Amino acid sequence: MTEALHADSLHTYYGKSHILHGVALTVAEGTVTTLLGRNGAGKTTTLRSLVGLTPPREGRVVVFGQDTTRWPPFRIAGLGVGYVPEGRRIFANLTVEENLKVPRGRPGPWQIERIYALFPRLAERRGNRGRQLSGGEQEMLSIARALLLNPRLLILDEPSQGLAPRVVQEVFAIVARMRAEGISVLLVEQNVRMSLAVADHAYVLDDGAIAWSGPARALAADEARVQALAGATAEEWRAEAR
Amino acid sequence: MTQLLLFNVTNGLIIGAFYVLMALGLSLIINLSGVINFAHGGFLALGGYLAFTLSPFLGFWGALLVSPLLTAALGLVLERLLIRRLYGRDPLYSLLLTFGLAFIFEDATRFVWGAQGLPVTIPDFLGQPLSPDLFFITWYRLFMVGVVAVSVGGLFLLLRHTRLGIRIRAGTLDLETVSTLGVNVGRLRALNFGVGIFLAGLSGVLAGGQLGLDPTMGAGLLMPSFIAIIVGGVGSLPGTLVGGLLIGVASGVTAVFLPSASEAVMYVLMALVLLARPRGLLGEEGLMT
Repeated sequence: MTEALHADSLHTYYGKSHILHGVALTVAEGTVTTLLGRNGAGKTTTLRSLVGLTPPREGRVVVFGQDTTRWPPFRIAGLGVGYVPEGRRIFANLTVEENLKVPRGRPGPWQIERIYALFPRLAERRGNRGRQLSGGEQEMLSIARALLLNPRLLILDEPSQGLAPRVVQEVFAIVARMRAEGISVLLVEQNVRMSLAVADHAYVLDDGAIAWSGPARALAADEARVQALAGATAEEWRAEAR
Repeated sequence: MTQLLLFNVTNGLIIGAFYVLMALGLSLIINLSGVINFAHGGFLALGGYLAFTLSPFLGFWGALLVSPLLTAALGLVLERLLIRRLYGRDPLYSLLLTFGLAFIFEDATRFVWGAQGLPVTIPDFLGQPLSPDLFFITWYRLFMVGVVAVSVGGLFLLLRHTRLGIRIRAGTLDLETVSTLGVNVGRLRALNFGVGIFLAGLSGVLAGGQLGLDPTMGAGLLMPSFIAIIVGGVGSLPGTLVGGLLIGVASGVTAVFLPSASEAVMYVLMALVLLARPRGLLGEEGLMT
């Protein structure tokens, strides 16, 4: 099986703080890989290292056979890497339609009309500004925006965060749909059970290093581990609520 | 009295139009790249002087188009060589560099074209007044306002309807995300800088035809342009437009009653606006950005 993405012993820093301690992971082409772990484990930093936003100080990132470790983000995106960032980061000052005109159009099936067919809600709101959208609509817009790059690899950072359960279902349905389209997916999530249900392969990140990796099914079957992962986040939620 | 007032209001509007062209360029660059370009006035003067040199060959109309383009081309070169290094750094560096560039511009123009003021020859018919009653409004003044209106309109159309413009607006809010969508933000910033400098060069040619050329002409327009940006609200281009016209007229009207305060009134106006609306007149978050 060929690899969409391969990362090797990534060491990433924010200023002087050493966040990633030799993260290695692989996304096989045409599969969904999920990266789990508690808050602060380094999931977002890992993704930022992969897409070029926070390049690793050591280590290597290979995307579709090209060494992209030192590439700027736009060149990595140009290889067909769509990135849906944490917190969606849609352009609140632009309309939905304008948001969809920002990405560089790579040739492929995903054009604006098809996007509107997949997300009818966005079509209805095409004249509205980003800041007027609900959380779910913003998430759809963020995914739609990345799809217009016609990605071969889609990287999502906590797409279900803060969304109503019905919308969460929709987000995971889209992830499954992407795999059906032949797009490889790397998914970072807090929602452990749903991620494992949709993923082929899973990694667990802890303190900036991979603590476990294996088939998603194997992890899902290990109830104690799932409890620990999901429980940790539940406890954090309670802590945040306080 | 009415005529005197009218004269100064028109004057104010015309000066305001210069502030607007200059301030819109400054605003574009600040919004997308965070660089406060103190050399903007230098680019303006250069645009005017290039028109002076080129108009014997190209005529006024040719020079009106070509000099801003040449100015923008030099802007792109300087962006590539120097300005680019400022992105993401402490604003202090951009002040140091562009302040230095402003001095270099001023002395270079003085060295090449001399310290004396020079006239830019405008076509004869533009020099005529509209009518004997409105002796103070020449066709040239009307023409200038027209050119400014067309450029401002063009800029807003560019920002609204072209991919380049939409990306500039998106980048004003979140440049990092724009880069992850496959857009070369280095080039985006360069083009944006070029557009801003084009506007400076254009106002230089227009100002040259009205006021004549002088190596310090840009420096004199710079501070009011900053005030226009602040009054209108940093981050809002429509605000910059309103701010420029407003301080132009305010200073024109004040010149009737208290000529010595015609410059001070801009600062008073700025203070009043900031007291009432600390974000400036249209400085709501991302009105158009």
